[in-house]
Amino acid sequence: MKNKYLKTLTDGVVTENPLFRLVLGTCPALAVSSAVANGFWMGLMVIFVLTFSNMLISALRNFIPDKIRIPCYIVIIATFVTIVDLLMAAYMHEMHKTLGIFIPLIVVNCIILARAESFASKNSILHSAVDGIGMGLGFMAALMIVATFREVLGNGTFFNIRVLPAGFPVAKVMVEAPGAFITLGLVLGLINLITARSKTA
Amino acid sequence: MEENKLIVLSAPHFKSPLTTKKIMFTVILALIPAAAASVVFFGIKALLHILISVVAAVATEFVVQKLLKKKINITDGSAILTGLLMGMNLPAGAPLWIGAVGSIFAIAVVKEAFGGLGQNFMNPALAARAMLLAAWPSQMVSWVTPIDAIATATPLAIAKAGVPDTATLPLLWDMFIGFVGGSLGETSALALMIGGIYLIYKEIIDYRIPLSFLGTVFVLATIFGVDGINSGLFHLLGGGVMLGAIFMATDYVTSPSTAKGRWIYGIGCGLITILIRFWGGYPEGVSFAILLMNICAPLIENYTLPTKFGKVAKVK
Amino acid sequence: MKFISILLAGILINNFIFVRFLGICPFLGVSQKVETAVGMGVAVTFVMTVASGITWLIQHYVLDLFGIPYMQTVAFILVIAALVQFVEMVIQKTSPTLYQALGVYLPLITTNCAVLGVTVLNIQSDHNFFYAMVNGFAAALGFLLAITLMAGVREKLEFSNIPKSLQGFPMAFITAGLMAVAFYGFQGLFKDFLVL
Repeated sequence: MKNKYLKTLTDGVVTENPLFRLVLGTCPALAVSSAVANGFWMGLMVIFVLTFSNMLISALRNFIPDKIRIPCYIVIIATFVTIVDLLMAAYMHEMHKTLGIFIPLIVVNCIILARAESFASKNSILHSAVDGIGMGLGFMAALMIVATFREVLGNGTFFNIRVLPAGFPVAKVMVEAPGAFITLGLVLGLINLITARSKTA
Repeated sequence: MEENKLIVLSAPHFKSPLTTKKIMFTVILALIPAAAASVVFFGIKALLHILISVVAAVATEFVVQKLLKKKINITDGSAILTGLLMGMNLPAGAPLWIGAVGSIFAIAVVKEAFGGLGQNFMNPALAARAMLLAAWPSQMVSWVTPIDAIATATPLAIAKAGVPDTATLPLLWDMFIGFVGGSLGETSALALMIGGIYLIYKEIIDYRIPLSFLGTVFVLATIFGVDGINSGLFHLLGGGVMLGAIFMATDYVTSPSTAKGRWIYGIGCGLITILIRFWGGYPEGVSFAILLMNICAPLIENYTLPTKFGKVAKVK
Repeated sequence: MKFISILLAGILINNFIFVRFLGICPFLGVSQKVETAVGMGVAVTFVMTVASGITWLIQHYVLDLFGIPYMQTVAFILVIAALVQFVEMVIQKTSPTLYQALGVYLPLITTNCAVLGVTVLNIQSDHNFFYAMVNGFAAALGFLLAITLMAGVREKLEFSNIPKSLQGFPMAFITAGLMAVAFYGFQGLFKDFLVL
């Protein structure tokens, strides 16, 4: 039994990492990965929404009519997104402003609807919660990995702590749009390479 | 890799007796006058910029091809050409490492990641230049005056800054010879034109793209120019339009191969150049114009193909 | 003047894909072929324009009136989902050929974050009803432009010998990154004339 949950957890973080393996949730991944702290908070919010929406959808899975299940899922997800949105606005005002539009847009983050449809609607509440945590953690880790490259090279800092000497000519473009696309592309390529290597080895 | 060996790519040079190597070295030869002019005007720093860029480009090509276990073809001259263009697109006052970073990006990301020679969709040197400009905006506009290397603005930047003042604007003759601030390779219109005429004479490049590009810039600048100073001639001789129109926009791989497509492509380059120069945020728009038209090139080519199916467009 | 400003900003200067990162999923997912990319772009254009209008009305005549602005996310996404359903049904009934061409993409539009994004941005930037719709239309045209250009490039890259681990998504991202650099050329365009 224990094993099943552990597997779900590692699936979410590693083997089925939502960003790196399934390439879901790319919009927020590009937008908020300019700084590690942004990635961390976005990841945290996604974990929250994903876990609770998974649990609720799993709990209601026998009551939601099949035909209108997608709108039902969306309403459930949107409710939790509104909750984190308000929580962030109240307690993390600066971060709320930085992430801006991408907080309400968690609703249309494909990861969450995809997990609702493919996992929570078929599994127990506890198992769905574990899946939500695993997938959320995986997304958070992926965001923070991409953000590390971008923040260090583009701003000379890591989690807002200066790591490169002050005079270092940081590449401003890394924290801007082209840097986002190219970094994510290269990191995805690198991960493909590592997976291919580890499979043959 | 194996299964792709039979695919002949759209590059027109496969259809003529010219080899890639011959084309590349002819273009390099045509660039020599402009490169020499830059060394004359900007001194040893220009030479260093160009050498570092070329060495970095060739070394990156070698390393990437080795890593990808491909055939090493650094002697075909394409990496040298990319490095040379990279170096010539730098301002003389830029730090020396910047050309190396640009060349590495150009070869590794813009060219080899897309499959190498003939398969990239953007001109590597130009994409790298735009990337450098976005990454290090202050270093990439450190223009200096020729000979005495005092910090200065380019003619285009002066014209952009406000009401053009005849006293501060350089003489058109100086701009023609190259006695103005600017990227290393773009200052001397004369040297670039010598190279361009040589390339057209040797039938390496088609006259259509340079002609329509330069023509559009001239006509639009004449129409929208102010007080005769921001004139057509000024915009032909200032900035990178000569270098771009002759050596970068004509890149086989990233421009349309149909005759009609080339007219459209050249006019598009000219239009965007003027749009950015007159109303954009940057003083110079040539590199962005060519990059944007690089993006449009596949669509232009598709819609100007003479026959719909089966036949590869004939290229003169 | 404001009309043109919004159009230019949406299409070139603040392009949803290359500057704002909205609508990336369909931009990457449906850009292998020019034809389908255009189809997707047109469908999105229609939905974004209409959704901008309807959500504006909802915001001002329902949410604000009843003092429940925090219901914005829930209300908007429901409106968009319903609208997409509705559009799908109308097209199916009136033009079977168009439905055949767009049918597959229509349900996908609900989760296109460009749609929800533009409706929320409309409210944030205090546009009136007309300009909200213009803004939705402009942003959608920017999406249409981006996805069409991307598809053109990707059709060309189909024959490229791309290293194995970069094939597919990684290459699509790098391509988009290079296109985003080229779009830098439009930064600050007409900044003396634009009224935003």
